Amino acid sequence: MSENKIVTLAEDEPLNLDGGGSLSKFKTAYTTYGKLNDKKNNSILVCHALTGDQYVASDHPITKKNGWWSMVVGPDKPIDTNKFFVICPNVIGGCMGSTGPKEINPENGKEFATDFPVITIADMVRAQKLLIDYLGIEKIFCVTGGSMGGMLVLEWLSKFPEMVHSAVPIATATNHSAQNIALNELARQSIMADPNWQSGNYYHSDKKPMKGLSVARMAAHISYLSKEALQSKFGRNLQDKNSLDYSFDADFQIESYLRHQGFTFVDRFDANSYLYITRAMDYFDVSSANNGSLIEAFKKTQSKILCVSFTSDWLYPTSENKKIVKVFNSLGLNVSFIEIETENGHDSFLLDEPKFFEAIKGFINSTFENL
Amino acid sequence: MSLINENKDFGVIAELIPNNASVIDVGCNDGSLLEYLREYKNIDGRGMEIDQKKVQLCLAKGISVIEGDADTDLYDYPDKLFDYSILTYTLQATKSPKTVMQQLVRISKKAIISFPNFGHWKIGASLLLNRKMPVSEKLSYSWHETPNLHFCTINDFIDLCEELEIKIEKKGDLSNKKLSNFSGKNFLDSYFNEVGLFLVSKD
Repeated sequence: MSENKIVTLAEDEPLNLDGGGSLSKFKTAYTTYGKLNDKKNNSILVCHALTGDQYVASDHPITKKNGWWSMVVGPDKPIDTNKFFVICPNVIGGCMGSTGPKEINPENGKEFATDFPVITIADMVRAQKLLIDYLGIEKIFCVTGGSMGGMLVLEWLSKFPEMVHSAVPIATATNHSAQNIALNELARQSIMADPNWQSGNYYHSDKKPMKGLSVARMAAHISYLSKEALQSKFGRNLQDKNSLDYSFDADFQIESYLRHQGFTFVDRFDANSYLYITRAMDYFDVSSANNGSLIEAFKKTQSKILCVSFTSDWLYPTSENKKIVKVFNSLGLNVSFIEIETENGHDSFLLDEPKFFEAIKGFINSTFENL
Repeated sequence: MSLINENKDFGVIAELIPNNASVIDVGCNDGSLLEYLREYKNIDGRGMEIDQKKVQLCLAKGISVIEGDADTDLYDYPDKLFDYSILTYTLQATKSPKTVMQQLVRISKKAIISFPNFGHWKIGASLLLNRKMPVSEKLSYSWHETPNLHFCTINDFIDLCEELEIKIEKKGDLSNKKLSNFSGKNFLDSYFNEVGLFLVSKD
């Protein structure tokens, strides 16, 4: 169990952002598990996904649920905190304590709201790099994460190759496809269409864009699951009833399930953060700083890498992950690839997938032994 | 397939590979050949393996391995990326041995290929006398369950190399753990070598 810590970074020099503008004296909320050894060579940086946070292996303060990767990170877990020093920061733009739209802008004492600058995945990584510097770590043993977390991993490999000994990008892509962008746009439009959004200035209002955020989450949640999983879990089963109501209530279990996912999400997530982070994902293209060349983007990478995909993931499918592997192969890098067979869709990286755990554990432990 | 005889085959293959070479083992099984070469030749090794259980074993040994298929995934490597590619007892199980061989000599400067020799006298005898598909130590599957799609003889292999303008540099005799320069088809090899092992290349 780790306590949440908050550190102010970029105190002397501002963090310049891709979209112009900068952030100075920004906060990063993070958790750590295990101990940094004397050689400082056992750190693992875990990058969270769109709606994740720093509570990777400790109970969430709002939902009271287990950390989002508590099956992977912990004592004797695949990422063994008896052995490794695990760091998990909340990304900038997030809403669990790191500087983001719901935090106070030091310049005017008010919430940033939509005055918060549009940030990119690379900006998030530059911010994380300042945290790693602050922790006194010169070389991270392993950077890992799934989905958006995987994008951060790729950006780390491209931007700070000399600081990354090994990396495990999971269920991710080098950029967002039109379909990915379309789904995020649907989510953003549903938030902004909620009159309670009030152009983002809802922090002091009784009315918050809960319906919009809830619908955004419902739409996203469908994309995290596979058709097979939805069908086998819910099919056309009815919710607490024996016949159709001929109304627009939640007749089907799947409707009730999605509504529940939506309603519970708004308690722990900020609508503006959702806008900013999905935007960062849409803008993500790890090759963009290198004239669109992925080879150039990873030219200086020397890390040992394991890429993982899941068969039923249609959001970041195997084909996208294999593209990454192909680039690393072209560069002659020490890259491994495994495709886990599962019907759990994109969400698989957050679920109980023993073969996935075995692969991570095998890769991380053997890489550490050969350090 | 665990057809490979570690004591005999590994040593002969290692003799063909200089120290510090970069090597890809296609169909690398549990990674034991790569491990052996890493230990004795300090190679920079990569593996490709279609069976996920074996991929997991490689990962746990610290071997970089791609879960992939020789028939489709060799295209992902640039020309002459590796000093050596190795294909042991896999050629006969590929859908297209011809394209796999072309890919091997494209992605590496030299390729080491071994396969069960269907021209061995025991196989001929089995067909001739029993009228049954041969099952032996090296060919351990019954005809209805075999993953092997394209059996060939040593002479067939030599012909295919000629057709593809692939140069055969050396041949191996695994039962005597002997390597020698290749100088054309040979009656004794084609009848008495259970396994064909060749070092080939194409500029």
